[in-house]
Amino acid sequence: MIVHTSRLALPPVPDRTRRSGTALLPALARLATVAAGLVLMWQAIVLATGAPHYILPGPLGVGRALVESRELILFHAALTLSEVMLGLALGAACGAAAAIALAYFRPARRWLLPVLVASQAIPVFAVAPLLVLWLGYGMASKVAMAALIIFFPVTTAFFDGLRRTDPAWLDTALTLGAGRATLLWRVRVPAALPGFASGLRIAVAVAPIGAVVGEWVGSSAGLGFLMLHANARVQIELMFAALLVLMAIGVALYLAADALLRRLVFWQADAPPAED
Amino acid sequence: MVLHRVLLVLAILLAAIRPASAEKLTVLLDWFINPDHAPLFVALEKGYFRDAGLEVELIAPADPNDPPKLVAARQADIAVSYQPQLHLQVAAGLPLARIGTMVATPLVTVVALADGPVKTMADLKGRKIGYSVAGSEEALLKAMLAKNGLKLTDVTLVNVNFALVQALLSEQVAAVIGAYRNFELNQLEIEKRPGRAFYPEEEGVPAFDELIFVARNDRLSDPNFRKFLDAVERGTLFLINHPEESWGLFIKNHKELDDELNRRAWRDTLPRFAHSPAALDAQRYERFARFLNAAGLIPSVPALSSYAVELK
Repeated sequence: MIVHTSRLALPPVPDRTRRSGTALLPALARLATVAAGLVLMWQAIVLATGAPHYILPGPLGVGRALVESRELILFHAALTLSEVMLGLALGAACGAAAAIALAYFRPARRWLLPVLVASQAIPVFAVAPLLVLWLGYGMASKVAMAALIIFFPVTTAFFDGLRRTDPAWLDTALTLGAGRATLLWRVRVPAALPGFASGLRIAVAVAPIGAVVGEWVGSSAGLGFLMLHANARVQIELMFAALLVLMAIGVALYLAADALLRRLVFWQADAPPAED
Repeated sequence: MVLHRVLLVLAILLAAIRPASAEKLTVLLDWFINPDHAPLFVALEKGYFRDAGLEVELIAPADPNDPPKLVAARQADIAVSYQPQLHLQVAAGLPLARIGTMVATPLVTVVALADGPVKTMADLKGRKIGYSVAGSEEALLKAMLAKNGLKLTDVTLVNVNFALVQALLSEQVAAVIGAYRNFELNQLEIEKRPGRAFYPEEEGVPAFDELIFVARNDRLSDPNFRKFLDAVERGTLFLINHPEESWGLFIKNHKELDDELNRRAWRDTLPRFAHSPAALDAQRYERFARFLNAAGLIPSVPALSSYAVELK
């Protein structure tokens, strides 16, 4: 795959190796500084407003809940994480298939695109109770919810990529005698993968929302269930602890997906940082 | 212009004849407006609050867990809440106290479909039970199961949020706890799938007040609270004496509530309103606190005066 030959007009591809290894420690240090700053701000707000613990618990109380209830949280987090991962796999697969169908078949584009856009206007929160009644209170409804919430971003991002293949590449391929299918699989899809990757990055960030919405409307386990339960029992520290773990899962998923996608879709180069 | 002046004069006159010192009270309901709140709406529409020199605003919340917290945070004066919930919230450090009672019996039940496999509580073994968001239902269920020789681990608890009836009708769960005898049972009957109710107070749970009024425990000397409860008492008495007229008052400003379900619930709720909203049965509250303590839901049995009072 030597697609970047046609990118001569673009800035030079930066050296990818610079990102790994030596840059990791400062990055972690920055992350820790930002996190410490946020925690300090949080504590400052608690002190300044004098908010009671059932309105806004302080970081210490939440930290204690996190340690004391670690087994409980871990159990529920593992379940939510597996729902998210399965939902991601399902949603990404369906999204990719839909985008390719839209790009390849003109009738699909004409008939399905409006439906897709309309489906995006339905708030998942409104259909969640129905999905739960149809698919049961187990994992299936949460996986479906996570898949549903990421389906649209994945589809549109990938479809956009498929529509915007560099005309020069298409001309070259046609000149070399490529058929419609070859054109799609050998030129358009590879060229659209950076777009697909952008869709996936959004997907990993929002998939946990889908799973938690599913847990919110009906479940017997998972972080969403734990948060509802803790809130009803006025264990607000535990609720915040579960929320923090959910955030950590989101961030970890995003970082992992980002690293993986950079490796897999290596021809999508980062632009050099703009000078301030 | 003339009309404007006339209106202005009228407005000034109206302002003049209103009690000068109408004290504003914000009351948070436990849930969207429903027949459980009848005494409040009758008192409001009949002007009993106004007679008591109060300007009462009734607000429905998005989440039934919020109102007590909002009162604790001084965002409102009075919250409608549940007695079991009060015990848990006080144990969690919320500075709240019960100042009055609106519905003096439990309303919550365990409901299964009448034509389903669950004929007795013991039939729940190995089945799924749906519950709505609340902290104390687990304790009720535990006691009710224990009386029938079952443990909590013999059933699977599923949080179905507010879709109690739907969960039951779709047969995703064998029974639900948290269904109200005056509401969900009627809803099931309207859907032509009658329910079978198991009543907590008949299955080993001490009786409690379903709906109570709570306020911050450092504001109990506020004379407006007693005035408020006296107006609620007038509302309740009118309601019991004139049920038909009261229904008209209730739906006067809430046309969306005028349906079969609410009419039935109205009828079934009437005998359950506290006739003396301000009265407190101390033994009954302490008995329930001991029950929750034995179930492991509250760490100790606090002094009654710290969380439930009879206002002077």
